[in-house]
Amino acid sequence: MNCDEVKRSLQDYVTRELAPDDRRLFDAHLVECGECQRELALMTAVVSTLDHQAVLEPSAGFSHKVLASLPRQRQSLLLSPWWSLVLAPVLGGLAWLFRVPLEHGLAGLLGRSGIGNITLPALTMQNAGIAAAAVAGLGLLVAVGGAYYCWEHYLRD
Amino acid sequence: MLEPMESTSEEVLVGRSARGDEQAFGVLVERYKGMLYTMACRLMKDPGRAEDAAQESFIKAWSALPGFKGESKFSSWLYRICYNTCISELRKRKPEVELDEAMGVPVAGPVKEFRNRDMQATIQEEVSKLPDDYRAALTLYHFNGLSYEEIAKLTRKPMGTVKAHIHRARAALKTRLLERVGWDNLKEVMWQ
Repeated sequence: MNCDEVKRSLQDYVTRELAPDDRRLFDAHLVECGECQRELALMTAVVSTLDHQAVLEPSAGFSHKVLASLPRQRQSLLLSPWWSLVLAPVLGGLAWLFRVPLEHGLAGLLGRSGIGNITLPALTMQNAGIAAAAVAGLGLLVAVGGAYYCWEHYLRD
Repeated sequence: MLEPMESTSEEVLVGRSARGDEQAFGVLVERYKGMLYTMACRLMKDPGRAEDAAQESFIKAWSALPGFKGESKFSSWLYRICYNTCISELRKRKPEVELDEAMGVPVAGPVKEFRNRDMQATIQEEVSKLPDDYRAALTLYHFNGLSYEEIAKLTRKPMGTVKAHIHRARAALKTRLLERVGWDNLKEVMWQ
């Protein structure tokens, strides 16, 4: 090894990342080169100082401040956004399976609640399918929103 | 109040904290407050803001604990939260500078008297002048004891970039130490 090669391997030598064969060549060069001995001493001092940094302490009462700032109520499992990922496709599927009774029920509800003058289009499989697809689409939106919420609050950090 | 749980294993404390046990979480805060605060100080260079960042990191950790599956070490997970909190604060504050620009300020010349205890202070002062990315990689490697791979994962940077940042930062520190202190002073301290 010459001086340039030693200087390039200096940090790996100090942090013991240099391969054993290269380490032997490094040592052999070191015996006869004062300049590289100086470089090694300097780098060893830098690495050793960095490795032994003191742990600083935050101000008194830090732990109590943290505990006092914790959100009092953790989000319950029932309200967890993870449910939306499961519920949305399930609801969408159910809406599709029961699309005909759904539209019947919707028509009856509108009639009973006094807004019966809204005339629904004739009940066809096509219309019922559109209604179910709209419900499924809404479910998909909830799923996307839930996924984004989970990413922001649980996974990103 | 926290004494009886102090010897409880980390795994148990994490599990209890995830289920909402504030006392168990308090023990974890006691265990890691120094590490997180020091890490935040190194990254942010401002003790007041570092304390806020450390506090925010613990609060985020508390909220996210039910989702912690133990795939990584709890400490690595906590460091990641603290790193992200500090970096997002730093990004709001100032534009990034290059290594040469940050370290290129001329020095008056070697000091007259230099003692062993001055080494830590001098190095820390020079570390604080490093660009954010270099300082973060150096802190995570030397202070937090993370591997290149863990740092790359945490900072979302290629491992080669992380290694290059650490190598360049150490080389810059060596040069600055020699410029500021002088070989004669350093020689006495290192070989005394």
